Amino acid sequence: MRIPILKLHDYLLISIQVELDDQTAIQFQQDLLEKIHETGVKGVVIDLTSVDMIDSYIAKILSDVVRMSSLLGAKVVLTGIRPAVAITLIDLGITLKDVPTALDLEKGLEKLQQELEG
Amino acid sequence: MRTQSCIKIKNEWNIVQARQLGRDLSKQLGFQTVDQARITTAISELARNIYLYANDGFIKVEPINDMGKLGLKVVSSDKGPGIKDVRKAMEDGYTTSGGLGAGLPGVKRLMDEFKIHSQEGVGTEIVAIKWLR
Amino acid sequence: MDSPVIAHLKEHKDKIVELWMKKMDEAAAEAPQSNINYKALITTNETFAEVIYNYILNDGSSRNLNEFIGRILQFGWPLSYLTHGIQVFRRVVIEVIGGKAENTKELLQLYQQTDAIIDPISNKLIHDAAEQWENTVYLQKNALMELSAPLIPVMEKISVMPLIGTIDTERAKLIMENLLEGVIEHRSEVVLIDITGVPIVDTMVAHHIIQAAEAVRLVGAKCILVGIRPEIAQTIVNLGITLSDFPTRSTLKEGIETALKMTKREIVFIDQEGSD
Ligand SMILES: Nc1ncnc2c1ncn2[C@@H]1O[C@H](COP(=O)(O)OP(=O)(O)O)[C@@H](O)[C@H]1O
Ligand SMILES: [Mg+2]
Repeated sequence: MRIPILKLHDYLLISIQVELDDQTAIQFQQDLLEKIHETGVKGVVIDLTSVDMIDSYIAKILSDVVRMSSLLGAKVVLTGIRPAVAITLIDLGITLKDVPTALDLEKGLEKLQQELEG
Repeated sequence: MRTQSCIKIKNEWNIVQARQLGRDLSKQLGFQTVDQARITTAISELARNIYLYANDGFIKVEPINDMGKLGLKVVSSDKGPGIKDVRKAMEDGYTTSGGLGAGLPGVKRLMDEFKIHSQEGVGTEIVAIKWLR
Repeated sequence: MDSPVIAHLKEHKDKIVELWMKKMDEAAAEAPQSNINYKALITTNETFAEVIYNYILNDGSSRNLNEFIGRILQFGWPLSYLTHGIQVFRRVVIEVIGGKAENTKELLQLYQQTDAIIDPISNKLIHDAAEQWENTVYLQKNALMELSAPLIPVMEKISVMPLIGTIDTERAKLIMENLLEGVIEHRSEVVLIDITGVPIVDTMVAHHIIQAAEAVRLVGAKCILVGIRPEIAQTIVNLGITLSDFPTRSTLKEGIETALKMTKREIVFIDQEGSD
């Protein structure tokens, strides 16, 4: 299974709608990095509104992909993390400290715009 | 309603199945959204540890009733290499695989009760319970 | 066939009840702090005697007893009234029927049978009372919990959560859930956690607050901690707690000003004359 990556103007948008099994997560990491490289975008929003569980393994893949993207010159914002997911992450001791977040896709795009253009 | 379910963990796909089982059972038992996520996440951590460190093993999930107190019990068991220093493995950030080292201490915090029994060369059994609020 | 004690109980019902009522009266007169109205006491005693008898003779139908206990506790009467009533009943029964025994062996048997009849009532009473008590405590606790952690959307993008009272682990969990659900519901960008009303901030409480702030950041909003009194600033530093990951302000007012800045807004004063 592959997670679709959309390009909107100067940004990449990803909405994760499927159960993130390991294979899908790793594939996604690879696809996203290639797409950033290919398009040269400076901003990425990953929307997690539909995700009902993030364990430490997926959390690591997500924070890795944010750091890797940044090496390629793209800023990644995670959006739509649900309250229940946020609470379990805190229980796990995972704060994703260096990962920018926003309430939803729209706010995430706003944030990128402000930081990249303003 | 399923009263007890056991899933053999052998490949990555089984981790997803175990999660799904936890999701279904916790919902059926009437756990609130946050506790459903806690249970599902704990199962995912335990199943992944089996897959990563013991090759194969089992995740068993069953509703329990302790004198009127309802809960969900999760048992993870494997005949893998066991954990040499359980105290260390329970520390935040301790990992032998380049992970986050958040799994075991995390499961303890996600659940209400947590017991780990591990012996080098014999295997590991973890029992964790979440009580219905 | 009724046991001899049951037979006696039936036969001497009037006498037993009368004696019991009398002793209950005496006890009530002796209790100095009793704020129970005397008339109510008489009627209640009558019902109590009825309920005990029903329970014994119907052999286990506990509905009446249950209801009675419920009412007594609801009116705020002490549990000791109930336990005392049973004790007195036991004494009265022994007194009345003890005389009917022909020898020590028989007397002993009567005693044992009396215990066998009265102990279950006594146990049931304690059990029911404890259950009702626990129930009440549970309900009150829940009500309190829900009341005590509201998220107030004070203006667009900015919400306030005033915390009042001590914060234990259970309450911290609830605060966290209300906080996060509220952030999503009101689409808050900044949340002010006001700890003016929290009497003690120790490492545990600070830890809970930090975790709440971290969770708020994960769902995509920011936290400002306000209402930090001087002595709390002292404890925080003395305990070596770092709150550097999110801004702190001493008053709610300053916090709101900061929140406005963070959401790129400010308060402007409008000229009263409306010039230009
Ligand atoms: N079932 C198991 N069998 C053997 N070793 C285990 C098992 N589960 C955990 N461990 C050991 O405990 C360590 C900590 O596990 P955990 O807290 O889940 O963190 P992580 O999986 O990220 O390393 C692992 O790195 C591994 O060495
Ligand atoms: Mg692990």
